[in-house]
Amino acid sequence: MFVWLGLFFLLLFHYLPMFGIIIAFKDYKISTGIQGIFSSPWAGWKHFEAFFNDYNFNNLIRNTLALSFLKVIFSYPVPIVLAILLNEVKNQFFKRFVQTVSYLPHFISWVVVSGIAYTFFSADYGIVNDLLMSSGIISRPLDILTNPDSFWGFAVSSAIWKEAGWWTIIFLAAVTGIDPALYEAAEIDGAGRIKRILYITLPGLKGASIVVLILTIGSILGGGLVGSNFEQAMLFGNPLNSDTSQIIQTYAFNVGLAEGRFSFATAIDLMQSVISVILIFASNYIAKRVSGSSLF
Amino acid sequence: MRRGRKRTTEDWILDTGITVLLLLISFVTLYPFYYILIMTFNAGTDSSFGGVYLWPRAFSLDNYIYFFDDSRWMDAFGVTILRTVIGTALGVGFTSMVAYGLAKKDLLLRNAYFIFVIVAMNFSGGLIAFYVVLRSLGLINSFGVYVIPSMLNIFFLLIAISFFREIPEELGESARIDGASELRIFVRIMVPVSLPLMTTMSLFLGAGQWNSWLDSAYFVQSEELRTLTYRMMQVINQSMMPTSGGAEASASMARLSVTPLSLQATAMVVSIVPILCVYPFLQRYFVSGMMIGSVKG
Repeated sequence: MFVWLGLFFLLLFHYLPMFGIIIAFKDYKISTGIQGIFSSPWAGWKHFEAFFNDYNFNNLIRNTLALSFLKVIFSYPVPIVLAILLNEVKNQFFKRFVQTVSYLPHFISWVVVSGIAYTFFSADYGIVNDLLMSSGIISRPLDILTNPDSFWGFAVSSAIWKEAGWWTIIFLAAVTGIDPALYEAAEIDGAGRIKRILYITLPGLKGASIVVLILTIGSILGGGLVGSNFEQAMLFGNPLNSDTSQIIQTYAFNVGLAEGRFSFATAIDLMQSVISVILIFASNYIAKRVSGSSLF
Repeated sequence: MRRGRKRTTEDWILDTGITVLLLLISFVTLYPFYYILIMTFNAGTDSSFGGVYLWPRAFSLDNYIYFFDDSRWMDAFGVTILRTVIGTALGVGFTSMVAYGLAKKDLLLRNAYFIFVIVAMNFSGGLIAFYVVLRSLGLINSFGVYVIPSMLNIFFLLIAISFFREIPEELGESARIDGASELRIFVRIMVPVSLPLMTTMSLFLGAGQWNSWLDSAYFVQSEELRTLTYRMMQVINQSMMPTSGGAEASASMARLSVTPLSLQATAMVVSIVPILCVYPFLQRYFVSGMMIGSVKG
């Protein structure tokens, strides 16, 4: 009985929306409700063509891909490094303290992170600008939050700040799984600590690294492991930096729910899914070639 | 490991370097929170002159007085607490119940069910189609939209299934012979046995509910149903816009030396504190929970 309830639930909230995708090929009006999904007139590829010809199209694709890939490239190594550093700490209390602190931001909403970001980096009242100005390092406030050139960097660093500590958990667990006898043997053979890190700790992390890499790749367009591209683009994006901060998802949201062009927005959503599937297959293929293991 | 051996220069440099680096990381992580905290205890009008970095300069509780006096913030606070409690209870209860059913080894068509679940996890109809479904179910602009669609969490469903599989069949079997119903077996036997799982799930679903703002932004229009995080987002956006810097400023604010900025900081502190109180104590649970999740990948 539990099973039936569960499956009914999936049907309702997951499969029904999936069938709803066909409104991308129709002229759907919200007033017709759920029956409208099936009864509204077909529109063929009209909405897709409209998207391809949209003057935002190139920008959107570029921003979506850039944000996704930059985040993976820069954020992926951070937890590994952090885990190695933590593993070298002898003082258990200090180690625990740093760890607990480092994953605090994971539990905090992106909204709060954006609030903190504004408090620190705003050109009008941010304390970073305040400090830099009063110490004479810069003469004009930095416009990190509104400058289109700094959006990607800012999104990537804030994502690392928020999530790196969290993913360290997995790597740290993998490090503790390494046989201590290996270290002792290496020490007797005269290997220094750096050598031991390079030749024992790092190879010991290989398994965990691959698992995490595969997880990252599976969700790359969503922002990989380090948080939601959508929430970041929504919260850090503003009219001034929209050249680089507008991504496919936020655009679909704006034209869909805000402007009420439901079919058009669904077509954009669908495009995003298609790109995402292509990326998953491509990176899975690369992972297989490079490391010998893969998702499927 | 290194007992009885003299520390080399390499050891010394490495230890110092690592300690300094980790202290720096801790500082960069903690200071923003600390800064927000002192802002809330400093008079907003005073903070706007800048220069408050380490402790409150003009100590004042006005921000909190204003915050807890404002019915809109209090409404949002209430909605958030309510959705966290109800949403977490429903999510944990329903997800683990379905998982218990799916974990049965003698279930017919089990593989078919699995494919059904996996497909649902990896593909979605996108926001608009989801919106249409919610609308037809009458969930738009109701409290239900916060807690009903999130009742079944697929990620935790998979984790819970693998957890229940590890539990020996005999445990439920003897109760079944004694005539206990499945529901009774689940509540009386399975729930106590799977307490670590339930705790992990509660923490994650609870944090998700507490922090959620997207559903409040998309699916709800009436003001009294907005969540705390959503309100915060609104205020941050307002103070972000250079033209309307003080859109929320009002007479009562001025009387209490509260500024939109200090109010925003207060809201953030109010939303962070409950998380801060809970998460360090549940550490061992979520660390092991993470491990199950990653192994199942």
